[in-house]
Amino acid sequence: MALRQTELRPLGKPVGRKEDPRLIRGKGRYVDDIMLPNMLHLCVVRSPYAHARIRRIDASAALAAPGVKLVLTGEDLAKMNLAWMPTLAGDRQMVLATDKVLFQYQEVAAVVAETRAQAEDAAQLIEVDYEPLPVVVDPFYALTPEAPILRDDKEKKSNLIFHWEAGDREETEAIFREAPVVVKQDVRFPRVHPSPLEPCGCVADYDTARSKLTFYVTSQAPHAHRTVLALVSGLPEHQIHVISPDVGGGFGNKVPVYPGYVCAIVASLKLGVPVKWIETRTENIASTHFARDYHMTAEIAAREDGKVLALRVKTVADHGAFDGAADPSKFPAGLFSIVSGSYDFKAAFVEVDGVHTNKPPGGVAYRCSFRVTEAAYLIERVMDVLAQRLKMDPAELRLRNFIRKEQFPYRSPTGWVYDSGDYEKTLRLALERIDYEELRKEQAERRARGEFMGIGISTFTEVVGAGPGHTFDILGLKMFDSAQIRVHPTGKVIARLGVRHQGQGHETTFAQIIAEELGLSVDDVLIEEGDTDTAPYGLGTYASRSTPTAGGAAALCARRIRQKARKIAAHLLEVGEDDVVWDGTAFSVQGLPGRSVTMKDVAFAAYTNVPEGLEPGLEASYYYDPPNLTFPNGAYIAVVDIDKGTGAVKVRRFLAVDDCGTVINPMIVDGQVHGGLTEGFAIAFMQDIPYDADGNCLAPNWMDYLVPTSLDTPHWETDRTVTPSPHHPIGAKGVGESPNVGSPAAFVNAVVDALSPLGVEHIDMPIYPWKVWSILRAHGVTE
Amino acid sequence: MRTYQGEFTIEKPRSQVWAFVTDPHRMGPCIPDLIELNVESENRFRTLVKVGIGPVRGKFDLTSELTVEEPGRTASLSIRGGGMGSGVDMKAAMELSDTSGGTVLKWRCDTVISGPIASLGGRLIDGEARKITEKVFANLKAALLSAADEDVAEEAPAAEGDESAADEAAAAEAEEGTTAVKDV
Repeated sequence: MALRQTELRPLGKPVGRKEDPRLIRGKGRYVDDIMLPNMLHLCVVRSPYAHARIRRIDASAALAAPGVKLVLTGEDLAKMNLAWMPTLAGDRQMVLATDKVLFQYQEVAAVVAETRAQAEDAAQLIEVDYEPLPVVVDPFYALTPEAPILRDDKEKKSNLIFHWEAGDREETEAIFREAPVVVKQDVRFPRVHPSPLEPCGCVADYDTARSKLTFYVTSQAPHAHRTVLALVSGLPEHQIHVISPDVGGGFGNKVPVYPGYVCAIVASLKLGVPVKWIETRTENIASTHFARDYHMTAEIAAREDGKVLALRVKTVADHGAFDGAADPSKFPAGLFSIVSGSYDFKAAFVEVDGVHTNKPPGGVAYRCSFRVTEAAYLIERVMDVLAQRLKMDPAELRLRNFIRKEQFPYRSPTGWVYDSGDYEKTLRLALERIDYEELRKEQAERRARGEFMGIGISTFTEVVGAGPGHTFDILGLKMFDSAQIRVHPTGKVIARLGVRHQGQGHETTFAQIIAEELGLSVDDVLIEEGDTDTAPYGLGTYASRSTPTAGGAAALCARRIRQKARKIAAHLLEVGEDDVVWDGTAFSVQGLPGRSVTMKDVAFAAYTNVPEGLEPGLEASYYYDPPNLTFPNGAYIAVVDIDKGTGAVKVRRFLAVDDCGTVINPMIVDGQVHGGLTEGFAIAFMQDIPYDADGNCLAPNWMDYLVPTSLDTPHWETDRTVTPSPHHPIGAKGVGESPNVGSPAAFVNAVVDALSPLGVEHIDMPIYPWKVWSILRAHGVTE
Repeated sequence: MRTYQGEFTIEKPRSQVWAFVTDPHRMGPCIPDLIELNVESENRFRTLVKVGIGPVRGKFDLTSELTVEEPGRTASLSIRGGGMGSGVDMKAAMELSDTSGGTVLKWRCDTVISGPIASLGGRLIDGEARKITEKVFANLKAALLSAADEDVAEEAPAAEGDESAADEAAAAEAEEGTTAVKDV
């Protein structure tokens, strides 16, 4: 039940989402809702080939078509030095192809016309003469000497983008040489796509009179986009106004800058009128940045009693044609080295090779911190392989190997300093709530009857909230975040933050943090994000960083307000500042609780009755650079039943026990967990973007790339333990991504557990019914 | 790339078969779902064809070029073009040889399909591409059989209804001698 928004001390309470009345009644304002006078529409012409030389582009027929105002090609952009643009990973990407294309659906030309239909019709008339080139689809083949070099524009003539290592190779090798037990497993995390309901799009509005560009865009990081646009276009940064209006889901997909944005801006600059570009579903899936696509091999060295000793991981990462991974600069494989997970390994060694192929660029953090889902899935999967090999219960194996709560702050073998956690407590709560022992008994009975029931456990640790500016930056921009709070004379507050929500509920949770700190109600606080002309600079919302960074900034900024308010309160109460105490809702005189003033009284006085020598007004800003990352964790348990005839997997129960530290709004946390579990479920059972040998994308739509509906989605059960972050201003850790990070392994572990009597040790995602059915058939279980 | 191949025997002398397959006016109409045929020269013709695979429906503009490798014996036909943002690139090789009472026509076709038609067509594309390729040769056989022995050059295409019926029959017939090879 939602709490009334007028109550004081709202932190930790299920306050109804302030944004919902607007969004669920269809009153949100998204980019495609923006209609400006004289606005034109842009359509992108894309390559049918995955790798081809462009011999010639003939746009004459398109230019003569009705309503067409402009056609842009790579050659036009090259004249403006805009044919290429930087990616967030420090590579560069073609805006419109000049000499060759490197993936199917790559941007080749743009048509601007009076209506969208005219632009699309004219796009068909552009004749491009391609000379197909040999296609590289397999990243392992890309690394062989026979493979053609895809990026001949690069100095380094190789398809290898980077080789990255973490941990201690020698120490790890030494332990492996002596270890009594070694398990090894190849694990693939398929290429998936965040596929938000709202695809990407923008309206570029260049005002020739003011020389100012207003750019409405589906952006998770409007400030970073403004800076990138300034660097790419040469327009002065203060003459670029980026507005990210309501965003219909991002999940990492709306972090990068896309070629369509640049084309719309160029078109608006050339034509002096607003230009809108909204991509289609197919364009979104087949050309904007994908996620995962990791080919991983993990080995665990252990003792016979199950104690793990060392971990060795080798990964080939398919980054596509351009390295568009949205990772912090110093971390080409993101935070993948968190792969030792919740377990106390003595040593670990992790290698990742990033590779170019003829596929769309990417490697975005799809509802996870940078490459953390890949890591969590791998370790949780391989721990089960070890349990199976040792004939140990997977819960028991985990309990035996957890980092113990007294070990925090814990330094992992790859160098992370875990802030806090109580993994045993979280798992024990989950085991108890789901009645694990009873389930195992039931499983034994069902197995005796020839039925296939499985229980899967995942006890993951995340690393989120990038991050400390000394370690984390994107294109040199330190990954701090910010808040600015203005208290109006009547005690109402507007707060602006450097992040940009896309459904996470910031308008409510940040209002709760600020209201809690200022002794106000949620209704008194308006949260505004996404407008670069008004909001303070920040790096945006992704990688579960908003609460760890901007949430910290909001709390500390409010405390800054309170410091000044205390001075005004002392003046109003006619006592010295040291005699003023704050009880959470009002300032009072020490020892005289009857004499008090509220923040509203203070706010009014800040504009009407300021003590001498004090600056009038009541506002503050805070740029918060967190001292460390946060490490949310969880214990998830899935229970599945397999239909022997069809191979269909039914998720009977799913329990998620999360520890995200201090909970700001339990209802929103539950909602976040439900959403993330549903996406994790989709990844485990239905999502993959395959390519054929010619580089054709075989799932560029929602018929082939499946998004679960309410009919597919299991019932979710949630619970929590609370281990506050010791360094975060309110102890919060972030939760939006935990369920997507932690759940795929629970689902797969459950299915493998169900099939383990047949000797199955691993199945790669997505677990389509036919895969399970093929296994059952191979073992003579079904015809 | 997908490769399809097959062969059939036809009870016509090799010279007559050769004359037919190297004549764009006669080869053009063998392309299934033909809307328009423009013969540009004796070895080059453009066709507009109807395409429908899965949810994608539209027209393809294809340019075909005939290359004679060994007169009377081997020739190849390259078909390139596309539409709806998609591309088709086919290289068909034909080889004629004598057999008792007729001619053996061996064919092999390497097909590359790209763009939305390849991706949206998804799982349907392989079957469709194979069907279209086979139909070309099935039509060819049907047309050859219906051509009068002595008058190869002036043969008019059959009425449309008859032609499609002939297509079906010939396609079914051609099925047996056909193998599809998926290249890696």
